[in-house]
Amino acid sequence: MDSIKMNRRKLLKLLGAGGALAAAGPLASPAFAARTAGRVVGVGGGFGGATAAKYLKRLQPGLDVTLVEPAREFYTCPFSNLYLGGMRQMEQIVHGYDTLKNRYGIKVVHQYAEDVDGEAHTVRLANGETLPYDKLVLSPGIDIDFEGLEGYDEAAAEKLPHAWKAGDQTRLLRSQLEAMDDGGTFILSAPDNPFRCPPGPYERVSQIAHYFSQHKPRSKILLLDAKDAFSKQGLFMDGWREVYGDMIEWVGLSDDGRVVRVDADSRELESEFGEIHRGDVVNVVPPQKAGAIAHRAGVTNGSGWVPVKPHTFESQQVDDIYVVGDATIAAPMPKSGFCANAQARVTAAAIVAELNGQDPLDPVWTNTCYSVIAPEYGISVAGVYRVIDGEIREVEGSGGVSPRDADAAFRRREAEYAVQWYNAIVQDTWETRGLQKTLT
Amino acid sequence: MSRTRSLVTTSWSRRDFLRISGAGAVTLGMMMVSPSLLARSRPWARHDAIMELLDGAEPDTSGVTLELPSVSEDGSNISLTVRVDSAQENGEYVKSIHLFAPDNPNPEIAVFHLTPLSGQAQIATRIRLNESQRVFAVAKLSDGSFRIGSQDARVTVSGCLTDDATYDSSGLMQARVRTPRSLRPGEVGEVLTIINHPMETGFREDADGNTIPRRIIHSFVAELDGETVLRADFHPSLAANPYLRFHVKPNGSGGTLALEWTDDEGETTREEAELSVS
Ligand SMILES: Cc1cc2nc3c(=O)[nH]c(=O)nc-3n(C[C@H](O)[C@H](O)[C@H](O)COP(=O)(O)OP(=O)(O)OC[C@H]3O[C@@H](n4cnc5c(N)ncnc54)[C@H](O)[C@@H]3O)c2cc1C
Repeated sequence: MDSIKMNRRKLLKLLGAGGALAAAGPLASPAFAARTAGRVVGVGGGFGGATAAKYLKRLQPGLDVTLVEPAREFYTCPFSNLYLGGMRQMEQIVHGYDTLKNRYGIKVVHQYAEDVDGEAHTVRLANGETLPYDKLVLSPGIDIDFEGLEGYDEAAAEKLPHAWKAGDQTRLLRSQLEAMDDGGTFILSAPDNPFRCPPGPYERVSQIAHYFSQHKPRSKILLLDAKDAFSKQGLFMDGWREVYGDMIEWVGLSDDGRVVRVDADSRELESEFGEIHRGDVVNVVPPQKAGAIAHRAGVTNGSGWVPVKPHTFESQQVDDIYVVGDATIAAPMPKSGFCANAQARVTAAAIVAELNGQDPLDPVWTNTCYSVIAPEYGISVAGVYRVIDGEIREVEGSGGVSPRDADAAFRRREAEYAVQWYNAIVQDTWETRGLQKTLT
Repeated sequence: MSRTRSLVTTSWSRRDFLRISGAGAVTLGMMMVSPSLLARSRPWARHDAIMELLDGAEPDTSGVTLELPSVSEDGSNISLTVRVDSAQENGEYVKSIHLFAPDNPNPEIAVFHLTPLSGQAQIATRIRLNESQRVFAVAKLSDGSFRIGSQDARVTVSGCLTDDATYDSSGLMQARVRTPRSLRPGEVGEVLTIINHPMETGFREDADGNTIPRRIIHSFVAELDGETVLRADFHPSLAANPYLRFHVKPNGSGGTLALEWTDDEGETTREEAELSVS
């Protein structure tokens, strides 16, 4: 008995270590399969939710795991910028749930979860059905905060897309870029922290610059920012200059970059100090908050995000509800797909440990965010995180960004690593494939 | 809650201060306070400047609201709003608001001197925090009494943020101003300002290890036809490119709003805007 326990502890620890993205093996040994019949419901079939469901089943095949996700196919935000740049097709960033259903025995219910009753331990679906749970995992990602920016409501988003959830919004933005005349101006408005994918807006303008340089070389890009500093700033700015000359202009907070009002019909953005910018195509990356179901479940606080217990990502406010991914307050971990995946593995391990009457393990999470500036130009930032003095901290000296003075071969390799990273993470999350090996 | 206006004769102790400021934080920011932060709050940290200001008086712990993000991913630029409940009229008004970050190398952030012309005792600005800590605001009222409020703020250096502080000296001391187009009589208008300045703390080193000398904007004055609307003293804990959002309530038919900033090298910038009331 003891040795099994030891082994499992080691196993959980390994999984908790997160970064490995190791290929799946037959991890469930019959010795501890099917011992506890617990019911776990997961809401959200994105990076966090799909990973949590899969690892729960891997650790304890006897668990009854239901995954609630309205969409039959999930479009990843990672690499959706590459679709905008013309380096990927939409068909290459879409993933289904067949393997999770068939190989892992996860019940996938294609419904929207409308409400959670934390007392009764139930989830109510849009079709009226009620799912009981012992443990609930929420990974609903973000919702756009349509109250957070004057003039930007759902109707405005049909004219000035955010494309911050991949799918139709991403296609809309691409079609606007295609319809734009050469010599036009593209404007992206970037929000203040915290928001999904800190390097995302900067990778996006890089990709759009790639598209322009090939098809509309006289066009300009204006990036209006509500921040004075951003992720991988030096590397991005070097890359922009090197690859795209002066096509991209960045205006930070202190230079009046913060947009306070938008007019969707005239495609105008008004800055804090009253300047009006008119674009031919305008991409508003608006302020964000945790997905609606987190608010319904009562796990969010005044910030609009979810405070969690650092070791397990159980809600600080409601017992037996675990929240992972973008919806959480996990800073300094960024809101990335990689982090959502790493958090979900730790949470799956913590839930299994608790159902078996064991203590959670000391977690370690890793993150790497690649950004692709051009087909042969990649950059990255990495970090390792642990619980130190009761809060999540970045392990000192653990991470860092790509060197400023790297040569072309290094940048090319990082673009290749980005593809490998994508293929590995979608394999780990949905057990699907990301197709092509390289970007060109 | 009623305001305690006591002419305390027994000198008010540091302990009392921590007790009430702690209580203040809990009522003000119940949702935001993380237990770990409370536990880590250093009892004898650098509260001297606050104690000196209070000079033995017991502050009221209600009526001051501080808004700061509960978690900030960039400690070099954190937005802060402070609001004091007050009619801000000739009879009774807030004379000054003092902001402190006790765990910064320089705990004073800024002091704002207000007048009835300020219209509303509310200021928004951007500050620097070296580490997670509790930020304090002390308000001094025209009758000599004090109020205090506080808010916990957690600072994490996000792995996705680089620390290349990109400062462009070309536009040094250049200001931007936004004033109300026109006001109705008795209406309080909002004034927005920002000025390009590194606010060098004097604690930084350059690439060769030499200390970069302190150079900050230390004062700001806003006057309406020569009468003070707001006067502010800035300290190094105010963020680079000082940003201020304050209010003005002109008497009669308005006038010329003059804004002036002065830095350690004696450089000044002056901006003027007409405020019309109709
Ligand atoms: C342009 C862009 C580029 C990015 N690039 C990268 C990158 O290169 N690397 C990286 O690591 N990250 C990247 N990200 C970030 C990444 O997409 C997110 O961090 C990640 O998706 C978060 O996972 P999640 O599980 O929290 O949310 P999601 O992956 O968004 O999943 C949430 C799911 O929950 C479902 N859902 C929501 N509410 C309900 C409900 N009530 N009932 C049922 N289902 C519900 C949604 O339909 C959705 O499928 C990028 C993001 C953007 C916008």
